[in-house]
Amino acid sequence: MFGTKSFRQQFPIFQHHPNLVYLDSAATTQKPKMVIDGITNFYQKENANIHRGIYDLAAQTTQKYESVRQKVAEFIGAKHQSEIVYTSGTTASINLVAHSFLLPRLEQGDEVLVSAMEHHANLIPWQMACKQKGAHLRVIPIDQAGNIDLAAYKKMLSAKVKMVAVVHISNTLATINPIEAMIEMAHQKGIPILIDGAQSTAHSPIDVASLDCDFFTFSGHKIFGPTGIGVLYGKATHLAAMSPYQFGGDMIRTVTYQDATYAPAPQKFEAGTTNIAGVIGLGHAIDFLQQFDKKAIALFVKELGAYAREKLLSLNDLTIIGNAQHKTGIVSFVLNNVHPHDVATFLGTANIAIRAGHHCTQPLMDFYEIPATSRASFSIYNNRAEIDFLVDEIKGIQSFFAV
Amino acid sequence: MNDKLKQLYKTVILKHNNQPFHYEKKETATHQLEAYNPLCGDRFKLFVEVEDEVIQSIHFHGFGCAISKASTSVLAKNLEGKTLAQAKILCEEFGQVVSPDSTAENEKEEFAAFAAAKDFPGRLTCATLSWEALNSFLAEND
Repeated sequence: MFGTKSFRQQFPIFQHHPNLVYLDSAATTQKPKMVIDGITNFYQKENANIHRGIYDLAAQTTQKYESVRQKVAEFIGAKHQSEIVYTSGTTASINLVAHSFLLPRLEQGDEVLVSAMEHHANLIPWQMACKQKGAHLRVIPIDQAGNIDLAAYKKMLSAKVKMVAVVHISNTLATINPIEAMIEMAHQKGIPILIDGAQSTAHSPIDVASLDCDFFTFSGHKIFGPTGIGVLYGKATHLAAMSPYQFGGDMIRTVTYQDATYAPAPQKFEAGTTNIAGVIGLGHAIDFLQQFDKKAIALFVKELGAYAREKLLSLNDLTIIGNAQHKTGIVSFVLNNVHPHDVATFLGTANIAIRAGHHCTQPLMDFYEIPATSRASFSIYNNRAEIDFLVDEIKGIQSFFAV
Repeated sequence: MNDKLKQLYKTVILKHNNQPFHYEKKETATHQLEAYNPLCGDRFKLFVEVEDEVIQSIHFHGFGCAISKASTSVLAKNLEGKTLAQAKILCEEFGQVVSPDSTAENEKEEFAAFAAAKDFPGRLTCATLSWEALNSFLAEND
């Protein structure tokens, strides 16, 4: 049923652009009608600011806002809804942890570990923290195929390491990292670990309690929800120990001119009026996803990826970047004589939306000694016919440039 | 494949992309400029030899898409032997060709070809990348 014409009808974008071949879901997913309607409905019929409001609308909105927190907790398997912090997205979630959790406990000479395939969002916040404290950011190596070197990782987990931050699924390589093992190995040494779930939350079953990770982050817009809303999951003990990141309204307990005490987590991390409509939309996105078996989604997307790889590999002068053992439905590739931006422009005129560039993973591009790749990424509204069309168009581009 | 796009690439861009003018590192040049677009990663180094207010030669090296590479090649070819003042005028002229607000037509075929880039707003910065780097160099040396 995924990828069929009738399934695609749930996504209004395909009614407005009937010929759109959207292969850029790793950047952002398209939105189902129920999410769009949910947000519209909220603004048309329910809009009020949350908390403190005494009148009915405000009370109802507050109740909805908080009930989505419970929904998110159940969706990712958190034990308690107070472990769910609303943020503007994965980037903000990671910045919060780097600032409020790591910085106070990081000292000169300490180490922080990230993998070689991190998105800039899970690299630069740690880089900045290390620079500020004179600590060292160390990079867990990968092999040419894009697999994490677990033996090297094990050796790197020394007493100096204060934090590990690893991406669950690489947005560039499609690698599904062995986070279960990585979390366990970090914990054997008593080291906290953050998992960047930006690419995994839409398509993989997530259970933070059984994973036992210390922090988990994801963005609403990559799981069929709106932009500008994201989640930080943190273990209750960590969130309780962390200081607020931003200060202002809604995050306080008591305030005088000279002093303030703060609300407990998660409210102390949600200063000011947050993205309420975003939260409502996120709730609808989770409702949308909960209609389906997460394992079936993962399998569908993975099979599309495998099919695309097989078809692309039948072309000459094309190299796939990222050939790890466990992969999802993302394919990065380079053509011998055509730059990725030219590929993307030509595909664009054929209504095929792919991404071209460094995908916010510049150090990874350096590792593979390439400036950029073209990337096709798949979701539940895609199908094999679209991949066949993509491959035919790439053939056409190759012959055009070969002249 | 879109005809406008074919036209854009066929006339000038593929030619310069495949056989770029002065595509080599010339470390002895009097000036080295960087043309870099952090959003897409295109990065060229321009080696500009200036003597007595005249651009003696421009060489370049680096990586980028066909449009940015061809546009840099056209720049190197067209600005050689020009005074700094003339170069400035040519920079403006090229800017006019690719400006979405402008309908100015240019007689130089190598410039005019880039007008088609206007139909692909996402690619305009590719066309202007090296020209803007040179333009700020000229402004600094005014």
